Amino acid sequence: MSNAAPLLDVANLRVDFPTPTGTVHAVRGLSFTLGRERLGIVGESGSGKSMTGRAILDLIPPPGLVTADRLAYRGQNLLSMHRTERRHLRGRRMSMVLQDAKFSLNPVATVGHQIAEAFRVHHKANRREARERTLSMLEAVQIREPAHVYDLYPHEVSGGMGQRVMIAMMLIAEPDILIADEPTSALDVTVQLQILKILDDLVTRRGMGLIFISHDLHLVRSFCDRVMVMYAGKAMETMPAAELTDAAAMARRHAYTLGLLGCLPELERPKAKLATLTRDPEWLK
Amino acid sequence: MSTQPAIAVSHLDVRFGQAHVVRDVSFHVRDGESYGIVGESGSGKSTVLRVLAGLNQDWSGTIDIRGAPQPKRRDKAFHGAVQMVFQDPYGSLHPKKTIDDALAEPLSIHGIGGTDARITRALDEVGLPRSFRFRYPSQLSGGQRQRVAIARALILEPGILLLDEPTSALDVSIQAEVLNLLQALRVERGLTYVLVSHNLAVVAHMCERLLVMQLGRAVEEMQARTLTARAPQTEYARQLLLASEGFSRPSV
Repeated sequence: MSNAAPLLDVANLRVDFPTPTGTVHAVRGLSFTLGRERLGIVGESGSGKSMTGRAILDLIPPPGLVTADRLAYRGQNLLSMHRTERRHLRGRRMSMVLQDAKFSLNPVATVGHQIAEAFRVHHKANRREARERTLSMLEAVQIREPAHVYDLYPHEVSGGMGQRVMIAMMLIAEPDILIADEPTSALDVTVQLQILKILDDLVTRRGMGLIFISHDLHLVRSFCDRVMVMYAGKAMETMPAAELTDAAAMARRHAYTLGLLGCLPELERPKAKLATLTRDPEWLK
Repeated sequence: MSTQPAIAVSHLDVRFGQAHVVRDVSFHVRDGESYGIVGESGSGKSTVLRVLAGLNQDWSGTIDIRGAPQPKRRDKAFHGAVQMVFQDPYGSLHPKKTIDDALAEPLSIHGIGGTDARITRALDEVGLPRSFRFRYPSQLSGGQRQRVAIARALILEPGILLLDEPTSALDVSIQAEVLNLLQALRVERGLTYVLVSHNLAVVAHMCERLLVMQLGRAVEEMQARTLTARAPQTEYARQLLLASEGFSRPSV
C-alpha cells in the first residue's frame, strides 16, 4: 500500500511547559513520518513519548506549548488549521487509546451509549443506526455478548473488556491514524495478545497507521514495523523493529538502546548481574 | 535438604465470601532459597503472599515458618523474622512521613535501640545517600522509594523477605538496579525470598524454583532452569511462556 503523502509528517516537534522554575522541555525537536504501518515509540517514563501522541492530537493542556516546523496530516497543515477544523479531524481521522480505560470512560454512562455517541458526533446517524454500528463494533473487538455489554457501566466490565470498549469507541469513526498509549500494559499477557491482534488486523486489513507507545521493548519488537527510541524528549534512533534484537545490527545501535536492552532480564540468556544504564549528557546535544 | 524448610505451606485455602481464590496450594521454600510465584491477575499469587505475611487472616491449611506452625494472628517475633515489600512504592510509603519516620517505626514497635545508627546503615545498604533521611516520599523517584521500602523491610534484620511485584511499577533501567540490589542483599545476608511476579524473565532471573498458579490452583512447580529451557510440563505454563515472548503474527 503505497501513498504519496505520508499519513503524518512531523518535523522538529517541541512541547514546552513554562513553570515558575523555568521551562520544562518535554519534547525537544522530534521528526518522523507515519505511513500505513505500526510505528513503535519506546522510552522510559518522562521521555516524552505520551506528550508526542498528545501533541499530535492537540491534547496538550495549557500552559503547555506545541511548536513544530511541520505537523501535517496527509499534507494538511495541522498547526495553521482552525481549532474547529482540527476538532473535526480529531476522533474522525485520528484518535487515541489511553493506558487506563477505566479512568478514561465516563463512569455514569453505559459503555454502549458512549460508543454510540462517538459515532453520532462524526456521522449523520439516528439512534438506531448508531446502536447497530456500536453492536457490530463491539463484536469486532471480540466482545462475546455485545447486546449485554452495551448496557453495562464501566465499573461493571473487566480491565481487558474496558480496554476493548475504548478501542471500539476510538475505531467506530474509522480513523486513519490511531495513537495507542500503552494500550495493554495494565492487562494480563493473554488478554494483551487479543488486543494486539485486533490492532494488527486494523493495520493490515484497513491500512490504518498506528503509533504504538510502550515501554516494553520485547513487545514493540514483536509487534511493530519500525521502532523509535526516545530519551528525554529526543529520538535517539529509529530502526526496523526486527533489528532491535538482531545481533548483526547491534553495532549500529545507539548506546541508549543498548543500555535499555542490557537492563532486561532475559529467559534465553541468564545474566549473573543486570547491567544498569549510564546516561550521557551528549545525547541531548 | 537435611534442614527444615524456611517456609512450608500445605493445603492452603482462601475464600472471600463466595469466591474461592486459593485452592489447596502446597509448597515449601528452603532456607536461603529464592522462590517465585507466577500467574496472571486473579490467579491468587498475591493472596498467597499476603496470607504468608499475616495480612489476611481468613484461611485454612497449615503454614510453618522454620518448623513453627503459624496462628492466624502472628506475633511480634514473626514480623521480626518475615517482612514484605509491596508492589507500588507510591502507595506503600506514608506521604506525610519522612523517610526517617518510616524507618524508625518498625524499630520502635519492636523496642530496638540504636535507631540512629541503624537508619544510617539501612540507607547505606540500599544505596541511598544519607541526606535522604529527612526527605518526604514525594521528593524521591519511584526507584528510590522502592529502595526505602526495602530498607524498611530489612531494618529488623528478617531472614525471610516476601516480595510482591517489587519492580513492576518501575522503568526497566530502575528495575535492573532494584533487582541487582535484592540479589546482592540476599547473598550478603543469606536471605530467603518469596517473589511474586507476572514477569517470567524477572522470576527466572531471581529465583531457583517457581510455582505457576492459575485461578487459585498451583498448576506446576518447576526449576527456573526448566523455564529457561522452555520445557514446562503443563499446557498452561507453556501458554504463559509463549505469551510472554510477545506478539506473534498468526499464520495468514
